[in-house]
Amino acid sequence: MVSMKDIISSPLLLIFVIVGLLYIVGFSLVYLKKAYARCLELGISKEDLKTVIKSSLVFSIVPSLSIVVGLFALISVLGTVWSWWRLSVIGSLSYESLISSAVASAIGFATNAEMLDQATGRQFGVVMILMSIGMLSGFFILLPFGKKLSMSVNKTEGTNNWKYVLSGTFMLCLFAVYVPVLLIGDTVQAAVMLTGLVIAVVLGIFARKPGLKWLNDFIMAFSMIGGMISSIFWCSLFL
Amino acid sequence: MSKESKKITITDPFQAWAHKWGRIGTLIALIYMIALPFVVLAVYGCIPSFGEVINLGTISILMIYIPVGISEAISYTPILGSSSYLTFITGNIMNLKLPCAVNAMKLAKKEPNTPEGDAISSVAVAVSSIMTVVILALAALLTAWISPIFELPSVKTASNYLIPALFGSLTLGLFGSTNTGKKVVKNGVMGVLPVIIIVSIIALLARIGSGSSLFGMIGFLILFMLPIAIISSRIMWKKGIIKVVDRDADSAEK
Repeated sequence: MVSMKDIISSPLLLIFVIVGLLYIVGFSLVYLKKAYARCLELGISKEDLKTVIKSSLVFSIVPSLSIVVGLFALISVLGTVWSWWRLSVIGSLSYESLISSAVASAIGFATNAEMLDQATGRQFGVVMILMSIGMLSGFFILLPFGKKLSMSVNKTEGTNNWKYVLSGTFMLCLFAVYVPVLLIGDTVQAAVMLTGLVIAVVLGIFARKPGLKWLNDFIMAFSMIGGMISSIFWCSLFL
Repeated sequence: MSKESKKITITDPFQAWAHKWGRIGTLIALIYMIALPFVVLAVYGCIPSFGEVINLGTISILMIYIPVGISEAISYTPILGSSSYLTFITGNIMNLKLPCAVNAMKLAKKEPNTPEGDAISSVAVAVSSIMTVVILALAALLTAWISPIFELPSVKTASNYLIPALFGSLTLGLFGSTNTGKKVVKNGVMGVLPVIIIVSIIALLARIGSGSSLFGMIGFLILFMLPIAIISSRIMWKKGIIKVVDRDADSAEK
């Protein structure tokens, strides 16, 4: 009988994952080429674009490394190839991690280790299908209504003033939900958030000095890293 | 209203391209992602039955995924615009792509929901997606060598606090990105004041009552709070509390 171990170490799965990831990279490159060309047409200078690309690369490193931490946690439950695939596409670190802690009991095992050791191919198939269809719900909104949702707040010359208000409301609402939850719900989360904010403000002040203008491009990345590192201190203090 | 007048006209060529080819590219990726487990399982002759996939035990898992997916699509698409398709297919939105797009618009001094903002955030999201795929590929390849580093308790702790740290660093970016462009929205934050009050009270009650945080329920909260934020912003805009003024007039006033 085919076991979960046979599937997670299957060369066929590996090939499919590599082909899928190549498609995602190709799709990203086409998007990049089109968007870059349009930026130039719209009068955004090559210098500004270089700054944005450099900053985006630096900014992506730390969250990507956090995803790597999640990857290693997931590998112990689902094997390397499937975990790698899930975190490279659609998946989100927090929800994939949450799911990985729940799948073993959902298919009748007491622990993840027991599942990895004893699950059959069919049982792991349930996990694979669940994880693949679970996040589809967002696409049922995005694909048919994405154009309408984004163009409903699109601002062009002569746009109604309400669109300016509505456009900002989505981002403000995210903050209005996240900030109280982070500040009130957990002392360490609050301390980490405030540390990140203080570092961003301090770096912003430094970046006004003529020799330190380059700092402006990395304020978000550096304050995020500083906030994360501070969590080690805050945890030892509060937990 | 006739059907013709409801049709959305896009004048920007990149936005038009993204809403056509971005959508088709996403659909292809999506079909591939769904087909992948079925094809692999079929080759090994172990496709589970419908009842094995959908039952009381597994419904609880789907109940975590489904509302999050809907909430993300409704709340993030209007911010990300044309870059939404690439962002959603590559995932990790709140912890990576969205802040990256906000950072890019702030650096280039462009507003969201404009042709410039859409193009620049698409550049950032594409670069970030490629970077993540490369880093994860390296990590998967070098698992045996590098896993001890990523399993250090301090590295795990720091990773758990990515979102709070991001919000600390994002707060400045938020104000930077809403204050660029030809128009300025004054008192926009007043529109989400009811949301801040409601969420603060619920968070406080949860903390006092059970000592727990609402962090795991944020997807649900955003879904329920978004209509409140939109309605309250609309009322305040109608009453003149939230104003949209020309940037030049605002600068002269100051």
